[in-house]
Amino acid sequence: MRFQPGQIAAFREGALASAPLLVGMVPWGVVAGVAMVAAGLTQAQAVAMSVIVFAGSAQLAVLPLFIVEAPIAVMLATTLVVNLRYVIYSAVLAPHFQHLSRPWRALLSYITVDGVFALFAGRFPPGDPNPHKHWHFLGGSLLMWSGWQASTCVGVFAGGLIPKGWSLEFASTLGLIALVMPLIHDRAVVWGALAAGAVALLAARLPFNLGLLAAIASGIAVGLAAARLAPRKETGKD
Amino acid sequence: MAGDPSSGWVLIAGMGLAAFCARAIFVLPGSRLRLPPAAERLLRHAPAAALMAIIVPDLALVQGAWAISIDNPRLVAGLAAFAIAAATRSILLTIAGGMLALTLVRVLAG
Repeated sequence: MRFQPGQIAAFREGALASAPLLVGMVPWGVVAGVAMVAAGLTQAQAVAMSVIVFAGSAQLAVLPLFIVEAPIAVMLATTLVVNLRYVIYSAVLAPHFQHLSRPWRALLSYITVDGVFALFAGRFPPGDPNPHKHWHFLGGSLLMWSGWQASTCVGVFAGGLIPKGWSLEFASTLGLIALVMPLIHDRAVVWGALAAGAVALLAARLPFNLGLLAAIASGIAVGLAAARLAPRKETGKD
Repeated sequence: MAGDPSSGWVLIAGMGLAAFCARAIFVLPGSRLRLPPAAERLLRHAPAAALMAIIVPDLALVQGAWAISIDNPRLVAGLAAFAIAAATRSILLTIAGGMLALTLVRVLAG
């Protein structure tokens, strides 16, 4: 197969547009690598998790559960919930990639990340006829993928050298705190998040970490109710 | 479980499948379906709720019992991290500040 100039140009443009995202992602990948090993995964498992799962927030979110030996079903349910935002991305991307072959669509699905999705959705409105836009998406995504694998590898192998007494596994929880902050931009989401935290504490004694699932369900319910009761005000004071 | 390598592999395979399904759900079948607004609202609230449901018990429980006091280094460090995250929006500063706070509280508590 020969690449057409337009494909290469689109690939390059996508990679260049996404390059600034690496600044935020690389330290995050190193922390995830360190945290995976600190939580008790072997180095091979930690590297495999980054390649196979390729979802930083889900990788970090299961670690506190892995440490307390939560049931696998609960950890998988958590992965799914943390990744629900990808369902929205998938719905937005589907019409753009509809004409591609199945292997292309599988590849672009696997490699979707937040930052590149946001850039792509801003660059190509629905129905944009650009025939090379999937190359643009691939360029940005492949750059992010490579950066993520390289930075988690650094963390995985550096993490083995750090003494256990430093409690580095706590870095995964701190990473989640940094991650949750940009998500709680409107007041209804804040109420939902607070309710989820409160129920998680109250229900901590339930068997099989069912308290976690109860907390997530309560958080969603309270967030939706809050959004309905008090329509969001763009100019409301904090 | 944390000591059993085989369960780690099962977890990784399952998580890989879950992550791929969430990303592929509309793209892979080549769907033109639009998400109903109600579903979109629900999906928007889920990630923050899930993350908080993991964070809060990790800070405020010690061996399954409530430990809501200034003597709990993880709670103090976690609250410091929330403040840093809100003020700076920096992942690196949040993690560095939180680890520093954890160390300080432990040293001060002797």
